Amino acid sequence: MKRWILGLLLGVFAVLWAQAPNQEVVLSASAGSKVGIALPTPQIMGLEAGLVNRELRDVVLRDLEEAGPFAVLKNSLPSSTEPASYPSWISAGTDWLVICRVALTIPTEVEIVLQVVDVKSGKAVFNKKYSGKTAALRRMAHTIADDLVARLTGERGVATSRIVFVRLVFPGVKEIFQLDRDGANLLQITNHKSLTLSPTIGTDGRIAYVTYKGGAPEIWGQMKVGGPHVKLYPRSGSPQGHCFAPVWSPDGKRLALVQGDRRGNSDVVVLDVASGRVRRLTDSNCINTEPSWNPAGTQIAFTSDREGTPQVYLMEDDGSNVRKLTREGNYNASPAWSPNGSMIAYVSRFEGKFDLFVYKLGEGKAYQVTTGVASAESPAWSPDERRLVFSSGSRGGMQLYTTDLSGNTLRRLTEFAGCQSPRWTRTR
Amino acid sequence: MRIVRTIIPLVVLLTLGVGVACKKPAPAPEPQAPQTDTVKPPVGTDDADAKRKAAEAEARRLAEEEARRKADAEATTLAAYRRAAEAAFKDINFDFDKSNIREMDKAKLQAIADFMKAYPQAKVQIAGHSDERGTVEYNLALGERRAYAAHSYLVGLGTTDARLSDISYGKERPKVQGKDEATWLINRRCEFALQ
Repeated sequence: MKRWILGLLLGVFAVLWAQAPNQEVVLSASAGSKVGIALPTPQIMGLEAGLVNRELRDVVLRDLEEAGPFAVLKNSLPSSTEPASYPSWISAGTDWLVICRVALTIPTEVEIVLQVVDVKSGKAVFNKKYSGKTAALRRMAHTIADDLVARLTGERGVATSRIVFVRLVFPGVKEIFQLDRDGANLLQITNHKSLTLSPTIGTDGRIAYVTYKGGAPEIWGQMKVGGPHVKLYPRSGSPQGHCFAPVWSPDGKRLALVQGDRRGNSDVVVLDVASGRVRRLTDSNCINTEPSWNPAGTQIAFTSDREGTPQVYLMEDDGSNVRKLTREGNYNASPAWSPNGSMIAYVSRFEGKFDLFVYKLGEGKAYQVTTGVASAESPAWSPDERRLVFSSGSRGGMQLYTTDLSGNTLRRLTEFAGCQSPRWTRTR
Repeated sequence: MRIVRTIIPLVVLLTLGVGVACKKPAPAPEPQAPQTDTVKPPVGTDDADAKRKAAEAEARRLAEEEARRKADAEATTLAAYRRAAEAAFKDINFDFDKSNIREMDKAKLQAIADFMKAYPQAKVQIAGHSDERGTVEYNLALGERRAYAAHSYLVGLGTTDARLSDISYGKERPKVQGKDEATWLINRRCEFALQ
């Protein structure tokens, strides 16, 4: 009797599960479109199995799962990886079987020998040897995941990328931090003991941000990874309006930023870093802020309330040809131009809640990404354009989340509150 | 008996002599007024020196006392000034995404303008803030606009522009935590502080 009820319940769950729309990482749903990949426990020599599983296997599997094109197989897998067992791998849904040997070479160095077999053809599709410090095992796992994504899609994955963001240190004091893309390796970048906001990462890893350490907000930055933090703007002397929201141009030569006019208005200006020359792109009695470059560095998306409510606009990099992008709703802001230039992510307020939207420039249409996530803020693109990172206070305090563009695979990145303004980069 | 009489002064003299001999190489007494009064140096020239030092010390003491009195007076004035500022500086609040001065806050700004008249040396920083809703950057710009709204209203009441400075903290420094309209209203504000 009990078994019968259990069976019924399981059946109901299975139906509900199958009906859940677009559930990714579900075996049956993914079989058609995704490549089924399995990574049996590696063959280990000289290292603790727990360490290898935790820092290598689990990390690779999670990276592959989040990458998008793979369906990761974890349960009830065959025990052998010999060719004779390929049919049972195939029936378990496997396309690619990852065979991995990990060995300690000298006391602090490991070597990983990786072979990927297409079990349907029986042929090896990928062979590579990795070596490095034992302490860097996790980093090697990310590299492996990126290589496998590259082998499948032709484009490197983002497992080795990082997220730079602002974190509340104590009331009134915020600093810039960075995290690995999987939430590991928290690292503090600034230590101004002041309100520090709005980081922007250049293509060579340089950073600029706003800090109030001198009292009023100024633009500071670190011109190369590990280098000193210096004031970038205002350069000197004459009192100017406050500056906010710096964004490196794609070539790193210019910094778009927002400057107050000391009469309550804000304008987008562009600083030529070498010459120190500043060009004002907007000039109206309103708020113009949140500049975001297109990847060619020829246009800028920005937020303006010139028509009464904040909306997203586009303009050329000399301030000409201003046109309005968003038309629905009374609060559209925080535009983020996608790395390939075809999309602009932004936030929109509807019925008191902020959600993420993506505007596809080719179609001239906006698509909603998140739904009912309270206060989704500050979207930033992954370098491969597959996901967005954003901050949200939906589960007690602002944390960082990532989502695919369908909004179906929402994942929390952080395990602590007080996070905002994430940026996603391959260069740090 | 006579011998005794002569011996005693001798012994005294000798003892004194030895005492003086012993004291001579010792460092001169510290130039502290009360000590020079009680322990007189046995030699005449040292006596004049001590008097001069005593006079100097007395002068210093008087000067210090005067400075203390002045500082106390200033502190009293400063305390009054700060109290007056505290009494005059009340937050003003705003509607969502708005920066116009509300009717009910005009009296608060008048009180600040009056304070500025009463203390012509006073300089004030106006800090504009927003509630937690909306984007970081837009709220920083909105805070600028709110600060300037208060700024220009005070200028309209006769406060010199140069005595006012503005800053915006956007939504970065909420006054209270919460997720309801009452909380948000408190956080949508301008704060005033002496510079």
